[in-house]
Amino acid sequence: MALLSVRDLRTHFFTRAGVVRAVDGVSFDVEERRVLGIVGESGCGKTVTALSIMGLIPKPPARIVSGEVQFGGRDLTKLSERELEDVRGSQIAMIFQDPMTSLNPTLTIGTQITETIRRHFDVSKEEARKRAVGLLEEVQIPRAATRLDDYPHRLSGGQRQRVMIAIALSCEPELLIADEPTTALDVTIQAQILDLLEELREAHGTAMILITHDMGVVAETADDVIVMYAGQVVEQASALDLFDNPEHPYTEALLGALPQLEGDGIRQRRLTAIPGRPPDLLDPPEACRFAARCKYAGGDACTTHMPELRELRPGHFVRSEHPASERTRRGETVVV
Amino acid sequence: MSTPAPKPAASGASLPLSPSTAFEPGGAGAAIRQSNLWKDAWYRYIRNRAALVAGAVFVAVLLYCIIWPIVSPYDPNDVEFADARQGPSLAHPLGTDNFGRDLLTRTALGGRISIGIGFAATFVILAIGVAYGSISGLAGGHLDNGMMRFLDALYGLPYLPFAIITLAILGEATFWAMVIALSIATWFTTARIVRGQIITLKQNDYVRAAGTLGARWHRVLLRHLLPNTLGVLVIAVFLELPGVILGEAFLSFIGLGIGPPDASWGSMAQEGYETYRVFPLLIIIPSVAIATLILCANFIADGLRDALDPRTRET
Amino acid sequence: MTGFILRRLLWTIPVILLVILFTFVLMRQIEGNPFRRSERSVPESIQQNLERKYGLDRPWYVQYAKVVKGVFTFDLGPSLVLRNRDVNDIVRTHFPPSLELGALAMTFALVFGIPLGMLSALKANTIFDYSAMFISNVGFAVPSFLVSTLLIYFFALQWGEWTGLPTSGWDSWESKVLPTIALGLGPMAYFARLTRGTMLETLQQDYIRTARAKGLRWRRVVVVHTLRNSLIPVVTAAGPILGFLITGSFIVEQIFAIPGIGAYYVTAVTARDYSVVMGLTVLLALVVIIANLVVDILYGVLDPRTRDARA
Repeated sequence: MALLSVRDLRTHFFTRAGVVRAVDGVSFDVEERRVLGIVGESGCGKTVTALSIMGLIPKPPARIVSGEVQFGGRDLTKLSERELEDVRGSQIAMIFQDPMTSLNPTLTIGTQITETIRRHFDVSKEEARKRAVGLLEEVQIPRAATRLDDYPHRLSGGQRQRVMIAIALSCEPELLIADEPTTALDVTIQAQILDLLEELREAHGTAMILITHDMGVVAETADDVIVMYAGQVVEQASALDLFDNPEHPYTEALLGALPQLEGDGIRQRRLTAIPGRPPDLLDPPEACRFAARCKYAGGDACTTHMPELRELRPGHFVRSEHPASERTRRGETVVV
Repeated sequence: MSTPAPKPAASGASLPLSPSTAFEPGGAGAAIRQSNLWKDAWYRYIRNRAALVAGAVFVAVLLYCIIWPIVSPYDPNDVEFADARQGPSLAHPLGTDNFGRDLLTRTALGGRISIGIGFAATFVILAIGVAYGSISGLAGGHLDNGMMRFLDALYGLPYLPFAIITLAILGEATFWAMVIALSIATWFTTARIVRGQIITLKQNDYVRAAGTLGARWHRVLLRHLLPNTLGVLVIAVFLELPGVILGEAFLSFIGLGIGPPDASWGSMAQEGYETYRVFPLLIIIPSVAIATLILCANFIADGLRDALDPRTRET
Repeated sequence: MTGFILRRLLWTIPVILLVILFTFVLMRQIEGNPFRRSERSVPESIQQNLERKYGLDRPWYVQYAKVVKGVFTFDLGPSLVLRNRDVNDIVRTHFPPSLELGALAMTFALVFGIPLGMLSALKANTIFDYSAMFISNVGFAVPSFLVSTLLIYFFALQWGEWTGLPTSGWDSWESKVLPTIALGLGPMAYFARLTRGTMLETLQQDYIRTARAKGLRWRRVVVVHTLRNSLIPVVTAAGPILGFLITGSFIVEQIFAIPGIGAYYVTAVTARDYSVVMGLTVLLALVVIIANLVVDILYGVLDPRTRDARA
């Protein structure tokens, strides 16, 4: 029984210009203690998916139109705001991309940690403070006790992200959603933060959804991966399988766009770019949304109807008429 | 057999002629269309309904004040006691005052003076503010520091009292006397804003580039810095205008303003105040005129601010 | 923190000196004679006697020094026009009502304006928001003399019997209601608009999203996280407004017949009563300076980032 189960989630934004179908039929499971990586370019809907799970989408323009999010035996999309407030922070926690702006500049670090603890547990101020110190030590912030009374502007970006992690784990959630946690940080700090997340995850037995556009991060951290494009899942597999045998043309292109330090013909290879742009989600095409940029798209099939997400191999799903294993070397599609 | 070539058949997708930039978080994109700042701002402004209405009303009031006295059948100073204190009617759409003078005409004339003083004082404020702010901002260092300290000290000068004193110095309250009195103790904020803008722009690379190419400071100022400050200045005009108009109204109301036979909205209000118990219309009309102008100026300022800097817009 | 306060306090001294200088110079530019009671000119000998008595025949720098000394010893000298009255005296009787009116109006503006703005922000783009902002805009734009007049017209004249609110004087608490509203309506509208704007901006911030993601109750998010940060610009604006309220209440005082310094100021200037004008101007400037000082300090309290910057 999966910890979190998202089924056919659709979140749309109702704007003056029209309806933006940001998340359009996304389904996936997250198992206990495992890491699911959600990868895709900006605008593909990965953040909106995460926010929809938490119920944090801005309600006036946005709305979860259909679908379910099963967690702890309940459908989160059907909960009231008060019930969601109980789930957030204590059972599902989230950390965000920009540590510089994600902390309140006028409250001390200590307050921002203890208020979370005291919200979900009935403890005294002193007890909460003690726990906060322990948490800061866990995320490896030196001189934790004195740091509690500092304001965020006194900390570096990496330190602030550690504080965010501390806050997120303060109530021992079962699931942690990390939305591009390292994107805004220096490369060297990135590695530290990812390692830290890994350590803490193991220690606390927390499952994680890691959202990123960086394939390298996914390769290192995720157990399972889903690739999103234009509001949909286009490929889903275990991390190993995805990197060894990518199926969807988009995934292949993503991997091909990675700079490589070794391999045959390395000097002659240029970075392969993916021409074109993702479709406008105001009026997405009826057909495969990647067709316009796809090397293999052709004939009527790709351009007239939306391919289903089908199980190519056990545990490996693709939404394409031209997955890699069905192509011959001459670019023809042959069904195996 | 399917052909490997991509077909741009799907709607909603764009396909430039050549492979664009490598896959990047911003999304592969075509070249950004170069657009004119002012044209864009104009379109954004128009889409803001409140600002649009305010702008139209403002222009309408201006036109009314300028044109109506010329075409009006009434002489604004024509005393006709028989017609005194009439309410709105076909003959006198706004009624008449204590002396039987047509209010529609007098209000237009009063508007000329009030708005005239308003704009004149605003421009004086801007002139002083721009001069002070640019010098301070451009100079930097000790001069800038000193000038700002001095400015801080000037903030201690109370606005209305100094306006009163200035008027007393200048003797009678002529148009330009009022302008000076109303601008003398209130240009500080504009100076601050201009200085802030100049300092920000100074850091810009293109300004530094001009400097390294040997441009002299005044050229840098005129060619590069001021045009970019223009947007801020236009907004500043509509921000200062209400304060000045109210200031003029206040001064006139306590009897220090423009004297008869000329009238500004403030002095009309004072006349109306003397008889408000029996004929409140007389104080209401000029006050509503003032309020309308101030309201319009506020909305216009808001609209301009949003139009010129879309980041501040509320989603 | 105390260092910060002390430094700001010290800074007020040169400002006051500057104000004295300006006022002194400006007053001397005004033509006219404080001793002239009517159109007839004053006999030369009497003029000279009077000038000598009040020290007006001394060179300007001596007079200036005397004024400065007077200000710092709180002895502002006698009124030149009104016999038997000291400027100190005048200040003592007439300043408190103006101060009280200003303070009351400010309180009114804050107490009603901030919650109104807050609610408008929380219910953005609803009927409540639109009507609240409409009323605010109107309240802000309408000049206080009209507000005062309308208030008197309706509350005292038309409905006078059952509201019982007096329209002149400054003794009973009832008499203070209408002037307070008249003077405070504009600032209230201003604060409402400002609070709404800053709250809307703050609500967009990332850290509010973080606060919600932590599962904090919405009320706490609003009060602890949003409101505090939104109030900073409001506090900044409050200083100059307080100054303006106290120094610019002439009209309301006149209409409601409040014995404040407003009316006094105008007549003093017109009558060329140098010492009264000097004393009152310095006093008003002091009020403005202190208001700004309080605001600066409050700003430091509310926004911890500035404390380090100024340290």
